Formats: sequence, C-alpha cells, structure tokens
Amino acid sequence: MVTVPTACPFCSCGCGFYLLAREGQLVGVAPSETHPVSEGRLCARGWSAHEAALWGDRLRHPLLQRNGKQESVSWDEALDHVTARLKELMNAGKPVGVLGSSRATNEENYLAGRLARAGLQTNNVDFSYYPICRPLLEGIAEVCGKHAPSIRLHDIASSQVILLTEGNLAETHPRAASSVLKAVEKGAHLITVGYRKTQMARLASLHLQATPGNEGEVINGILAAVLDLGLQDRTSVPIGYDALRRDLETVNRTEEVRQAAEWIARAERAAFLIAPSCGQGDQSRKDAAAFAKLAAITGHLDKPGSGLLPLLARSNVRGACDMGVVPDRLPGYDPLDDARSRERVQDLWGKKLPPAPGLSAESLLQSVSGLIVVADDPPSVVPMGQRAMAAMERIEFLVVLDAFLTPTARIAHALLPIASLAETEGTVTNMEGRVQRLRVATNPPGEARTGWQVLAELCGRFTASYRSASDVLREIGQAAPGYAGVEQRLTEDGWGGALLKDFDRAKLVVQPTRTTGLAALTSVERPYLLARDAAFDWGHDPLVSFSPTLRRDYQSERKLFPNGFVEIGKADADALKLSGGRQAKLTSVHGEAMVPVLVRTDLKPGLLVVPYTFRDRVSNVLGSNGVTAVKVERP
Amino acid sequence: MAFAIEKRAVTKWLEKLLEAGEVVAPVRTPCGDVLFSTVRSAEQVVWDFPNPLHPPKEFVLPQTDPIVKIRRNGQHHEVEAVHDGTRRFLFNARSCDARGIAFLTRMHEMEPADASYLRRSGNLTVINLACVTPCPLGFCICTDSGPFLSDSYDAQLTDLGKSYLVEVGSAKGEAAVAEAPSLFRKATEDEVSRRKNLEVAARNHFGEETCHFASAMRRISTGRVPDALWEKMGDWCLECGGCNLVCPTCYCFSVKDLDRDGTWIRCRLRDSCQYAAFTLEASGHNPRAQRKDRMKRRFFHKVSAQYYTRDGAVGCVGCGRCIKVCLGTTDMPAVVAAIRKGKWHE
Amino acid sequence: MNDVFLPDIAWLADVCDETPDTRTFRLRFRDSKKGEDFHFLPGQFLELSVFGYGEAPFCIASSPTRPEALETTVRRTGQLTNALHKLGEGDEVGVRGPFGNGFNVEAAYGKDLLFVAGGIGLPPLRSLIWNVLDERSRFGKVTILYGARTPTDLVYKQELNEWRKRSDMETHVTVDAAQPGWSGTVGVVPLLFKKVIVHPESTLAYVCGPPIMIRIAIQDLLALGFREEAIISTLERMMQCGIGKCNHCAIGHRYVCRDGPVFNYGQIRELVE
Repeated sequence: MVTVPTACPFCSCGCGFYLLAREGQLVGVAPSETHPVSEGRLCARGWSAHEAALWGDRLRHPLLQRNGKQESVSWDEALDHVTARLKELMNAGKPVGVLGSSRATNEENYLAGRLARAGLQTNNVDFSYYPICRPLLEGIAEVCGKHAPSIRLHDIASSQVILLTEGNLAETHPRAASSVLKAVEKGAHLITVGYRKTQMARLASLHLQATPGNEGEVINGILAAVLDLGLQDRTSVPIGYDALRRDLETVNRTEEVRQAAEWIARAERAAFLIAPSCGQGDQSRKDAAAFAKLAAITGHLDKPGSGLLPLLARSNVRGACDMGVVPDRLPGYDPLDDARSRERVQDLWGKKLPPAPGLSAESLLQSVSGLIVVADDPPSVVPMGQRAMAAMERIEFLVVLDAFLTPTARIAHALLPIASLAETEGTVTNMEGRVQRLRVATNPPGEARTGWQVLAELCGRFTASYRSASDVLREIGQAAPGYAGVEQRLTEDGWGGALLKDFDRAKLVVQPTRTTGLAALTSVERPYLLARDAAFDWGHDPLVSFSPTLRRDYQSERKLFPNGFVEIGKADADALKLSGGRQAKLTSVHGEAMVPVLVRTDLKPGLLVVPYTFRDRVSNVLGSNGVTAVKVERP
Repeated sequence: MAFAIEKRAVTKWLEKLLEAGEVVAPVRTPCGDVLFSTVRSAEQVVWDFPNPLHPPKEFVLPQTDPIVKIRRNGQHHEVEAVHDGTRRFLFNARSCDARGIAFLTRMHEMEPADASYLRRSGNLTVINLACVTPCPLGFCICTDSGPFLSDSYDAQLTDLGKSYLVEVGSAKGEAAVAEAPSLFRKATEDEVSRRKNLEVAARNHFGEETCHFASAMRRISTGRVPDALWEKMGDWCLECGGCNLVCPTCYCFSVKDLDRDGTWIRCRLRDSCQYAAFTLEASGHNPRAQRKDRMKRRFFHKVSAQYYTRDGAVGCVGCGRCIKVCLGTTDMPAVVAAIRKGKWHE
Repeated sequence: MNDVFLPDIAWLADVCDETPDTRTFRLRFRDSKKGEDFHFLPGQFLELSVFGYGEAPFCIASSPTRPEALETTVRRTGQLTNALHKLGEGDEVGVRGPFGNGFNVEAAYGKDLLFVAGGIGLPPLRSLIWNVLDERSRFGKVTILYGARTPTDLVYKQELNEWRKRSDMETHVTVDAAQPGWSGTVGVVPLLFKKVIVHPESTLAYVCGPPIMIRIAIQDLLALGFREEAIISTLERMMQCGIGKCNHCAIGHRYVCRDGPVFNYGQIRELVE
C-alpha cells in the first residue's frame, strides 16, 4: 500500500491527508495528525477526495474536433494544431483569451497567465470564480494593499470574538466551522451577519440580520459604534478619525450592533471571516473594505491570534489570484498599471506586456474568437450560468485542458487530457495564504499528462519552456515577490507548507468611502428582494459530481426539482397562498420568470433566495445583479 | 502457552514473516504521522507510538473494496467474485483494534456469512502489542477492550524491557511463532508474573471509569433521550463522517460498479450513517433528513441494549479515535456524558 | 461461506409494458439448475443488477406457484431503471436473492383476505394474490381494492379484467382522475371500502402503495375494527446489500431487508427510527 501526503482539492481551507493507493489505483484517504490545518480531521468532501479521480469520466487522449466529432490524435498533432490555430487568430487580429482555474495548481495558472500575456500578447486572462470573489478581494486590497495578513485556521479556535458573514460556513468550509465551534465551546462570542438562521447563526451569541448584498449596513454600523465608543486602536491605525466618523454619521446603530462593537474592540483575539456577498460591483467592494477597516481600527488586522480571512470557495482561489490570472493584475496580484510590477514581469518574461486591462471572465466568454480553458467548467461557476455555454459554443476555437469530461470539455475543438489533482505535482495556496505541495499518488489514465507539462509545451511554442514543476515554482518566486523562496521552503518530504508573509503594514489605508445602502431597491410595486445565494455550487463541480458518496444529495435535488426552485419564508408563502412545489411568478425591471417555490422556516419575510445552482431559472429576473427587487404572484 | 522473544531477535522474526506473507504494521511517515501500512523491511516497524488515527480495519475492509468482477462478452456476461486470499500479519496492533477486528469478524460471520470479508480476516494474523502505558484519550477499560486482552488476538506481545512476552491465542498465532521457532523460548514464571503486574498497573492508570455506557445504554434503549437533546448536539456536528470512517467497529457501506474498459468492478465503498444521503430513497423521501435523527441512529447502533444483545458487545472499543477525528465536538465520551446528565454544554 | 455479492445471470424472457413508465420483466436463469433451485416466498425481493449501472432491490411480483414465470414490475425513476427499461428480450441481468421475510402464507389459511393497493403498490401484493388464487380452496373470501392516478397508470390491466370476471373473488378498481373511455369508479382507493363488506375478526388486510394512501387506508381499517396484527404492509427503504450488512435499511435494530420488508402494523409502530 502506498500512502502519499497531499493537499485537499476541494475548498480553500487547505487541509492535508494521505491518499491511499494499491497496485496503481486509488483506494481511499487517511487523515494526518501532523498537518498544520487538518490536525487529524477532515470533512465529508476530504474523506472522499479519492473518489472523483477513480470513478469520474476521465479524459485519456488528446482529441481534435473533426467532421462534427471529437477524434483521437497524437499529442504532437494536438499541440501543433492548437499552436497553429492560435497563431492564425492572432495574425488575423482576432481577440483571444485564457481562463485559468481555482481548481488548477499555481504552476498551471502561472503558465496559463504567461502564455496569455507573453505568448498570445493579451490581458484577456481571468478565472471563472473571480467574478464572485473579486469584490471581496478588491475591497480587502483597498485597505490592506493586497491580501489581508495570514491568519491560521488553527488560531481561530482560540479567538475570543468571531465576526462571520454567514453563507453557511458549516457547508462551505467545515474545517473553519470546526475552529469556530471549538472557540464557542470555550466561551467565545460568535457574531453572525446574514439573512438566514444557519447552524452557525444558531450557535451565535449575536445574529445580526442583514439584507443580502447589503451586509455593509451592519458592518458600517459596527464601525460607527466602535467610533462612538471611542474604542478604536489609535496605535494600530494612527489616522484622524473625524472624516471616518462623518462618513458614518447616517449609519444605523442598534443595541445589538453596539454590543458587537464592544466585544470586538475589547477582545485580545478576534477573527473576521468574510464570505463573498451575492452582490457584485462597487457596493460589495465597499462592504468588504468596511470589514477590513473594522478589523484594522480595532487592532485585529496583523496581530497574533487575530486576523481577517476571506472565505474563498475552492482550493486555489488565492493561488489563482497570486499567479495573476486576472485581467487587471499581474503575478503577485499586483495591479497591471503599477510600473514597478510591470517592469519586474516584463524583465522576467522578456516581453512587453499589453498595457490595457483585459476582459473579465463573462465578457471574455462572449467576445473572444479563441479561448483556452484550463481545468474548469465556466457555465457551472460563472454567474451568467448556461448563457456562458451558449457563448462558448460560438467561439471559433476552444481549447480545453481538463482531467474530467465536463460539459465544456464536450464542446472543445481541441481537448487536452491532464492529470487530476491526485496525479499531479504542483502547489496550491489556501485562504490562509499557505502554499502546499500536491503529490502524485497514481498515474493519470491513458495518455493524459500533468497540466503544467502541457501548458509548458504550449508556452514553449510561444514564449519559454520549462523542464520541471520546480523550475516553474522557482520562476513564480521571481514573478510574485511573496512567493520568493517558497520553492526552497517546501521541503521534499513532510508537509512543509509555506505561509506567505506578504502584508506590508506601510500599505495599510483606512479611508472613508461613500457608503450607500440598498434600501432603495424595493418598492410598493416590487416589495420583495430576490437574492442569488453566493455559496459555491459544489453539485456541478466534477470533484463532487463524479464522487459516488458526495453527489447523492445533489443528484436527488436535481431529480426532485428538475425546474429548480426559489426559497421563500413561511410567512410570505402563506400570505401569497403559495405552497411548496407550486410555481410562483416573479417580475422585476429586467423581466419575469415562473419558478417553483420551496418554503423555508429560516427565511425572514420579504426575501426570496435562489440557490446558486438554479440561477439560470431566474436569469431573466436577476439581470446582471445578485439582488433584485421583485413582484411575487401566484399565477 | 506463553513464549518469550529477546527484543534484538524480533527483527529476524519480522523478516521471516515478511517472507511468509504481507506484513502490515505502524510506520512513521516523513511527515511525522504513524500510519498502518504494508512494510518492506523490519526496520520500518515502529514500537513506541501513539495508536495511528487511521485504523487497521482498512486491511480487512478497504475504503474501496472490489467484490465482484463483471466481464462483458458480446451479449453475455461473466461474473466472478474478487478473491483476496493474501496471508497477512497485522503487527503491533493495539488491544482496541484487535477487539475491533474480532467485532467486525462477528458481524460478517452473521447469517449470511460474507466470504469476501472472511477470506481476508481468515488469512489475517493479528499480533497485538499490549498497552503497558494506555493512551491519553482511550477508554478501552469501559468497553472491555484493553489495555491488555485475554482473547481476540492471535498473539499478544507484552514489553518486558529486554524481551517480549508472547501469548499465543490461536492456531494462527502458533503458526506465526512457528515461522521462526528458534527465536522463541518458553516464558519464565517471572516473566509471566511481570506481565500480570504490568496489566494491573495499566488498568490502574485509568482511575475511575471514564465513559459511563451503562446509564447511556439504558436511556438510549428505552427511547428516553429527549429529541431536543439530539437536536442541540446536532448543531455541534459537522457531518464529516470521520467518526464512522475511523471507528474500528463501523462497517456501513454502499455498493457501486466501477467501469474499467469493458469490465466492471463492483466495489463496496465505506459509507457513514451521518451523511444525509445515507437513507435517501430514490423517490427523494429521506426518513432521516434531520441531523438529530442521524445522530440518534449512530448512538443507537453503537450503544443500545438491542444491538448489545444481538452483537454480544457494545459497538465501541474505547480507542478514542472519534475524539481526535471529530470536526465538531460530538465524540463518543462527550455524547455519552450528555445523555447521562441529560444536558449538553450547560 | 458464500460469495453473497455474486449475482446469478438471468435473461429477460419477456418484457411487457404496463404503463408508459412501468414494465414487467420475466426472468429466466441462464443456469437452468439455478432456476429449478430458486425457491421464494411471496413478498420477498431480488437485487437486480443492470450491468454497467449497478444493482437495486425490486420485489418479486409473481407467485412461487408459477416458478417458470419469475417476474418483477419496475417503474422508470432513475439511471438504473432507465437503463433496465432499455433492455429487451434476451438481454442479461444479474440476480441475487431471494431476500426478505416474505408474507406468511400459512397464517392466511382459512382467513378472508383483503388486498388494498395503490399505483405501483400492486406488484408486491400480486405475488401473494396469485399464490392465493392458485390454491384457492385454502383461503376464505378474496377482495381486491386497487387504484391509480389515472386509467393509464393502472398496472396489470389484463389481469384486473380477469379478476373482475372471476366469481371466486371481488375486485374493485378506481382512479383519482378519469380519462376518456373510463366508466369505472373515480376516487381515492380508501373510498372503495364503502363498496365492500368486511369482517375484521376473520380478515387479514394487505396494504401497499404510496405513503399517504397507506396511512389513510390503515386509519380506515383500524376504524373498521381491524387489529394491528391483521394489517400487513411492506416497507420501503434505501437498500444496498439486501442481506443486513450495509446498514442502510436499518430501523432501530431491525433491518427492512431481513426482518421485513413485510411487517404488520403493530410491528411497524414498534420500529424505533
């Protein structure tokens, strides 16, 4: 029996375990007590981490689409064809783009980014999950310069106060929820902010009800209360607080919010866990910034035992950001328009970088003639849902690299089979900012190659080549300053794992921003809010959908609700005379939709929630927003 | 019949066992964990170690367990049972795990007997390393599964300083000793009496009973645990299934066919009654849709009088793994205490 | 010591559509000796393998008095049953079983028998009904109350007509919603109780169908004076192994695949979830 230590491919907690294999085949998972994150524990997904690679529909041979079918070809032929077609498109001046992935390794993402910018001379580079977490990360970056300083999941268990925006932590990040439970067991005050009474909310000392997309109202209230009470930590953030105070004048301060402020400000150790909001754009960015400001002025930003953690959905969201597979940022997550960063990357790659930011994922899908998709299925991840599939079907030349037969893989003009995360070498960066190694437990099936190798081959035909994954990681250390020396720090054996220390206190900025609430959304005509739940749709992720143990609930839900559903609170359902399973007609300024309802006891009146996986059913109504005012009728 | 073997001779014994079959023993990984794994050399075996979190049941009930091979032949199909008849030695198991395997064997011997499991267990020689120093979280004394055993082992080793006492408990144990007979001698009276004293000292280590099964069993068996208590405890569980996956006496599984290029391998997959989908029916109906009902189920299966009567033992060997592996705070001792006291976290 | 997971190979000797989504499959073992040695009780079930899709439990819908006509009636609901429906005569499936406790046929000797079934609940009872009809003199009055959502959804349409014509039994059929051409009763199954005279002291009632129908029917039977032990049903649960080892179907310490699926109402009430 072979036991191979590796990092978990699912969420951004970054647990570690041993993959067990016998005779070249994955068999199961064994926990690790020495792993700094998992400490002997795993969640349901982690315990079944071996299943997708073993049971999934695997891609085995390079395929090119010919005569309406995907035909098996040799690697050379496939790579030659991909190179030739991309060059053709470039020479014809047609736009091309590259989508990296939050379930790809740092090496894969870095090479994808280099291929795009230095090879294909385009900044049309993004990853499918970024639209969801962009406001959160940009809001934090506004305050912290880039990422918030690392806080360890382990340390959250010793927090005295935890402020959590609840999207359902027990479901999205069980390992983080574990720390929260242990802290509460020891007497910590848990403050949850959200629109649903979830498991964490039930255990909270204080649950602050917030309208979806408008969590900022609550956070700004806490900020204001901290200032009212004069509890800000002036040594942490030595600014004049008057401007900030004026900015928050009109913000609502309730008793509860004042209590939260006291607890947070007086605590020695406080943790701030923020989930991406369902809202998008400016408002959400400002809300995330408010969170970071709160952590900063209460002295909890960069202090042992305290800190701020963005709850990113997938294993390598942070890594994808750091590798710069983002239209307006470079490796290191540095802004494209930052002269020093541009110079650094240009020198390293020996190529001048295109100056203007590229298209973001959803625009990219709709505009390019040529697209490379690395290890992802955009329609199941991006907010625009199935419209992304329609857009991709119009792309002249679609190249897909993946281990699994996803819907996107099915329509590829060129399909390049790569290894799954159980079969590859590379690194991923979790939401703590911890870089960890993945190790090879079994060989990929058929002719599939490791992802970094395939991308290195393509890079070699456009820009530069690499001999090993370590070579790539070493170069990453030069391209992204935070990653300097990481390759050496990750020891060959052992967990290693390097916590990035890339927070620069000098870059801390706490400024007032025009805060506007979302109160204006609803009206007499459209008195309800329809919100798109921001929680990641694991049911459509191949790591879950191909796992016999993990997919059961999702499969059943899709079978029982082939037309999807929208969740509505009992009081509203009764008032509208809607019972479970009945269709409701939703009308907004954007359009209307008919969709079945599911009645919930944990939703307050005035609010309807559509699970992320069913967002296509209400795409006419939601428009491009995550929250919309609607009229609800029984047809 | 008790033998003794000098410590420096054990390596040779292990080498002989390695020639005779597969040897599974605790090994230290480069990351510092101790895991049960197949060893290639005697030097890999560790002797001073905390009981690995991953239980050795993996070697009689693998997490992915192929049981039937189905081959397609045009319109016809040929089926054959997958046989694992490898002779294995489980070396340096602890008393709790030896009991655990004995329990699993009883479960799979129950009508109708499961040949797939019994082939493995029948060819497995369990060599128990008695716990002279009980582990910090264990409560084997409450389940009569340690720190020393009087049965359920093929051979039991006790560390006597310069030598090991070797108690043989079965024909398989005899055969294991017979792989290297010259290394063993008859144990002296003094050695036997030292072993007895070590057991007494180990038992005293526990102090008072740490996990009060009796009163919990009474309440669970008569349905006198309030629903509200299960509901409260349910909020402290994160449904990871770890408790079932590492428990030496848990064996729930699902069955699925793995497609391997024209051949299907029907496999058992380790499952957990704590997962919502465990009782999910094709119609969508789920009799245990609520977590409190799933928790109630787990403890009924482990601790009820009804199962105790059927199985001859409580469904727990006091190994303490569920304490370490629980993502939440709902391990066996915590829940048993809550049932006894009638309250949780108050 | 048996390889309890090893299926026997059987082929589909006949495939017959009952409704647009329900089919009856007649099975014949490839090894005829196995076929001869296959003895079962009405109410028992099989684990059927659809090769490439997996295995699932299905009740035996035919009587042990007709061993050459081993049948199961399956509704198309998911991947496996969809795949099964795509198979035709001559195609192979895997069979394990028979499993479960079955109906106690001897306990019914000399008794009046009342069968109350809804929709896809008729197949498990059919195994007992034909057993009774094939040994008619051993039993008292035989009454069948059966209904489905619409006339199209009725299973065993031909047999229902045969039963209606027989003088040694009483058969009443109803539908929730009529369709053109339907001249029979319209209404839910429990309403059929009004059409018959039952003597609870000497009758055994067998109830099978959708959960709501079972609940109402049992209530009505209790109101009519039936003892709990005289009301018999079959329970459905998620099952995998069929032999009491995987633990999916456990209710308390009872296993639906071994202690059931046939239970009387008194036993059902004792089951501790």
